[in-house]
Amino acid sequence: MREIDLLTEFSRKAGSKLEPENIKIDDTTLRDGEQTAGVVFANDEKVHIAKMLDDIGVHQIETGIPAMGGDEKEAIRKIASLDLNCSILGWNRAVKSDIDASIECGVDSVAVSISSSDIHIEHKLRKSREWVLESMKSCVDYAKSFNLYVSVNAEDASRSDMEFLLQFARTARDAGADRLRYCDTLGILDPFDTFMKVKTIIDIIGIDIEMHTHNDFGMAIANAIAGIKAGATYVNTTINGLGERAGNATFEELVMALKYIEGVDLGFNTKLFRGLSEYVASASGRILPIWKPIVGGNLFVYECESKISAVMSDPKTYRLFSAGDVGLERNIIIGKYSGAKSITFKLSSLGYKVSEKEAMQLAEIVRDKSVSLKRSLFDSEIIDAYKSYKNESKKSNNLTGKNGGS
Amino acid sequence: MVALEDKRRINIIDTTLRNGEQTAGVVFSKQEKLRIAKMLDEIGVPEIEIGTPSLGELEREIITEIIKLKLNCRLFAYCEAEPKEIEYAAESGIENIIINISTSDIHIKKKYNKNRTWVINKLRESIRVAKRNKLNFIVSAEDATRTDLEFLLKIMHIAKKKGAYRFRIGDNVSAYDPFRTFLSINTILSMIDFPLEIYTKNDFGMATANGMAAIRAGASSIVVAINGLGDGTGNAALEEIVMALKYLENIDLGITTSKFREVAEYVAKASARAIPVWKAIVGTNVFAHESGIHADGVLKNPKNYEVFDPGEVGLTRQLVVGKHSGSHTILYKFKEFGIDLTDKEANEILTLARSMSVDLKRSLFDKELMYIYRDYEGKKKKREKEMKSDEEE
Repeated sequence: MREIDLLTEFSRKAGSKLEPENIKIDDTTLRDGEQTAGVVFANDEKVHIAKMLDDIGVHQIETGIPAMGGDEKEAIRKIASLDLNCSILGWNRAVKSDIDASIECGVDSVAVSISSSDIHIEHKLRKSREWVLESMKSCVDYAKSFNLYVSVNAEDASRSDMEFLLQFARTARDAGADRLRYCDTLGILDPFDTFMKVKTIIDIIGIDIEMHTHNDFGMAIANAIAGIKAGATYVNTTINGLGERAGNATFEELVMALKYIEGVDLGFNTKLFRGLSEYVASASGRILPIWKPIVGGNLFVYECESKISAVMSDPKTYRLFSAGDVGLERNIIIGKYSGAKSITFKLSSLGYKVSEKEAMQLAEIVRDKSVSLKRSLFDSEIIDAYKSYKNESKKSNNLTGKNGGS
Repeated sequence: MVALEDKRRINIIDTTLRNGEQTAGVVFSKQEKLRIAKMLDEIGVPEIEIGTPSLGELEREIITEIIKLKLNCRLFAYCEAEPKEIEYAAESGIENIIINISTSDIHIKKKYNKNRTWVINKLRESIRVAKRNKLNFIVSAEDATRTDLEFLLKIMHIAKKKGAYRFRIGDNVSAYDPFRTFLSINTILSMIDFPLEIYTKNDFGMATANGMAAIRAGASSIVVAINGLGDGTGNAALEEIVMALKYLENIDLGITTSKFREVAEYVAKASARAIPVWKAIVGTNVFAHESGIHADGVLKNPKNYEVFDPGEVGLTRQLVVGKHSGSHTILYKFKEFGIDLTDKEANEILTLARSMSVDLKRSLFDKELMYIYRDYEGKKKKREKEMKSDEEE
């Protein structure tokens, strides 16, 4: 089959309707998010983030790595004891003592993680494929004997030999694992490859799949969605896309993309998104860029004249959802790209009325000002420009004795 | 990986100086615009949008000055489908323009307050002015992804017949995912033989993925901006598209990627928007490894956790010591400082470093590692001394 026909077939298949009850979010802000170089949460922050995620309606929280001991273990134990609605998961290497540490924390679910790619097996683990299967199987058996929900994580799955990955998935399934986490550890997949690979595993092995994607080439969200379309039922996300290197699939982007592009509403309380993002940004010591999709705010800040009048008449002309849906507000600012309509609107919101002619002249004044200041203007600067303009025109009227445009 | 069958020629057109500057709050100075144009040219970007002539005299003056630089890349100015705007473009001395017009019913109704016939007439009128002024032009359909296919094709046929250079499909509200993008581009191309350019937005974090999907479906050009700068949530990032084409699709555009970090930094400064450390491709965290498993993996072989060498985009690898570090990182770090630790020492220092990191709520500076080491050495010596004096007694 020609490539283009194959991709067309994928895309058609990917178009089938998704059901909200088949999609569950497993948020890993507290694990992969904290694992980001430079990021450390305080225990209180971890507990608070867990509570916020639970309030929003997340299905499962990956709370950390119990085997690290000390503070980390304490935070996980605390979260597990909160009696939240969501499931609580602990992350483990495929090592029995790691799982013991998880059990001591009182989690209901464990992730058993081990690499499945030859490059990792050879260069990182320095072991054999057989060793990998054996370690994974014995850990699943062990965790299952404690009646835990078990996610087997195939690290670097996207660079794994498909034959071996299928064997890996089959071994996990036969050992009683509840799901397989498909890790695109290096973020090297594109949505079409993701669709094909995930579909292959589901068709052949028939195990629940969780998507774990990374944003190294800017495709974390698209790949997570591609996985869902191929039949994956879980997605591993982080708030603000926090995570190793370029980060993971962003929680708020995924939820909103599902709702507004794919037509699946997970029923989350999205109005809490901005607040949650701000909290995690501050706890992780990372700014929240204003152009950040969904929660950055810039999506609802308008400067461009042609857009402003359209948005005034109907916000849907430029945005699929409204600022209030994610806890933000719409804002109109005045700068280099402003025109008469923007100025009229802005001044009226500040309590000043201008004629059409005045608005045209003022627009030119504020545009020049914005260019010379290399930024948009503050409200006080706009009012100041308006007052100076009024004074000037009054003066020139007095001088000429003529009636100016009032 | 399903690779593209034949190595088609893929074009990128950078809009940092146009849609990038159109971002609410961003204004470039004249010098900055000239510098960015030069930088884009130097790294080998084939086409750039340099501004909007209708904005005013200053903007036109800058456009004229960029033209005078006689760059290798092809320069474009941006116009709405309004005869006056096209006259302004001609005045600036530019040879190539983009004629933009909304084609979706929601835009026609709510933005223009007009009907489809009005849109067709405006476009024809604008093209006439462009041709009279001997301008090459791209026709850009704003909100194309929410446009009735039949009407979109009608507009495309007009553009083709009147001699447009190519046709731009605007996904201005990020209405599509990659699969729909693919199907849509594929469908259009099966109905009309004309070069297509894709314009994507990042409202749901899929600007790059949608751009790449369009390319896979047969689009030959994609609109990008450095750091993904642009209106709202921004455009497909230049650096992401170039690297994704190279490493995911095996298409090397021949761009000097080793300058990426430098260019990204300059644009970040000029737009007063810091590059987040986690920014894909050019963020400093992309090659920073802290967790024991990752750092150990990278030390054994960078390929364990890196797809390309950091030098390729002008970055360097960093090993960061913090809460998630393992003893291999400590051994490696101290070796860099010229100190060979035993495994036992490394483990003990690791415990101290981890607890300090938890306490400080961040990773440690190299200096702080040295302080830990000195304290550790001091205590050890003191202990040895006490033991010695105990023995003597």
